[in-house]
Amino acid sequence: MSTPALHINGLVKRYGDFTAVDGISLDVQQGEFFGLLGPNGAGKTTTINAIVGLAHITSGSIALFGLDVVRDWRAARLRVGLAPQEYNFDRYLNIRDVLIYQAGYYGLRGPAVAKRADLLLERFDLASKAKQPYTKLSGGMKRRLTLARALIHEPPLVILDEPTAGVDVELRLELWSLLRELNTNGTTIILTTHYLEEAEELCDRIGIIQSGKLVALEKTRQLVGDGSLQDVFLELTRR
Amino acid sequence: MIANTIGFQTLVKREMVRTFAIINQVIWPPVIQTLLYVFVFGLALGSRIQSVQGVSYAQFLIPGLIMLQVIDQTYSESSSSVFQGRFMNSIQELLIAPLSATEIVLGYVVAGAVRAIFIALLITVLGIVFVHTAPTNWVLYLLTIVLVSVLFSALGIVFGLLAEKFDHIAVMTTFFITPLVFVGGVFTSTQFLPPLVQTISLFNPMFYMIDAFRRSYIAAGDVPLWLSFTVVGGLAIISLAVALRMMATGYKLRT
Repeated sequence: MSTPALHINGLVKRYGDFTAVDGISLDVQQGEFFGLLGPNGAGKTTTINAIVGLAHITSGSIALFGLDVVRDWRAARLRVGLAPQEYNFDRYLNIRDVLIYQAGYYGLRGPAVAKRADLLLERFDLASKAKQPYTKLSGGMKRRLTLARALIHEPPLVILDEPTAGVDVELRLELWSLLRELNTNGTTIILTTHYLEEAEELCDRIGIIQSGKLVALEKTRQLVGDGSLQDVFLELTRR
Repeated sequence: MIANTIGFQTLVKREMVRTFAIINQVIWPPVIQTLLYVFVFGLALGSRIQSVQGVSYAQFLIPGLIMLQVIDQTYSESSSSVFQGRFMNSIQELLIAPLSATEIVLGYVVAGAVRAIFIALLITVLGIVFVHTAPTNWVLYLLTIVLVSVLFSALGIVFGLLAEKFDHIAVMTTFFITPLVFVGGVFTSTQFLPPLVQTISLFNPMFYMIDAFRRSYIAAGDVPLWLSFTVVGGLAIISLAVALRMMATGYKLRT
């Protein structure tokens, strides 16, 4: 078996007396489409932040493709792209430059980067807005730009934090199609979402977090069984 | 020290893009303010003063005004860029990238130095055109600007990280930087001050910055150059070390 795309071992994250993540261990295999679910405040975003380096790890370890995110942080970060829930683009750059500069921060530049930026803008139907600031984009376009930015350095693993939050049904279906295509092309995807049907539709495997603990980790089909993911989710996360 | 050279250069470039995107806030105000100072204080009121340190008052004023703007703009821009990045969360783009704390801090600092040199050169041109004065020692001119801009860029990063709202950034400017610069020798030589105030000036770090920089125009100063460089260099090292430490620990950036 190849090295897992993500290996979390006994991850603990405390803020003072509050334990946000309490001993989570899980692996996500390369090429997998993995869903991380849980109610608000369960620890999903903290876990993601620990993976990408936005949160200090209290104890435990995280490795991306075998690279420890603390010890081998530089190499590990090259292998992951984050599409956060919020639109945190650089307001002084046009949307093409948002991609070009992001690639620059990852140590990439030149004609190949420009070409990839243009390809992503084309693929995400943003080419006509390339020279505009992100503030001129619609909500759906901003969401697509978030995804394009996460992909500019061609990471083998992409983490999507509620990528379809607040978007209409049509755009959601469009994003699903994009994500499936991405995954089919070999990119490992970790998705957090509050839309259970989204996780059921897209994910090969699902982990459910409740109060910082991993309370379920199974293949989607096995987890759902004859019922619905909603029933399973409510059962597992009942406080 | 800098492993991700392209990442570092990209951040410097990004900061310059920001500077020129808000040119009416960053570049033109120091130029206009300097013109006003030169016309009102230098040429109008200054014509009544015979000479200061062997030159006309307007010629004495120019290097002080350059330092005033370099200090003010370097601190303001570096602190507001960092704070705005935190406020809008766009700084996350840097934090998740393979950029070290040193690369991020130096990115802001180098951009601050480039911006400072650009502003200083613009005002220098004004000095040449309107007051007929130019630096005589360009090495000292550049060296002082770089040292001072490193100090205030780093200080800007520190306060950009400490601030909880934009108002907090202004505290440093309003209560410390502006008063200390104004009494630090921009408008007058300390030789004109009463002995007690002259002694007090020796505790004002801005005095050393202005005095060292003025030597690049007038080969005279109130204190030895080595002393000025020791004070400014020492403060620059301390500020840079604090900024690096805060960035490395992810102060108010990483949870």
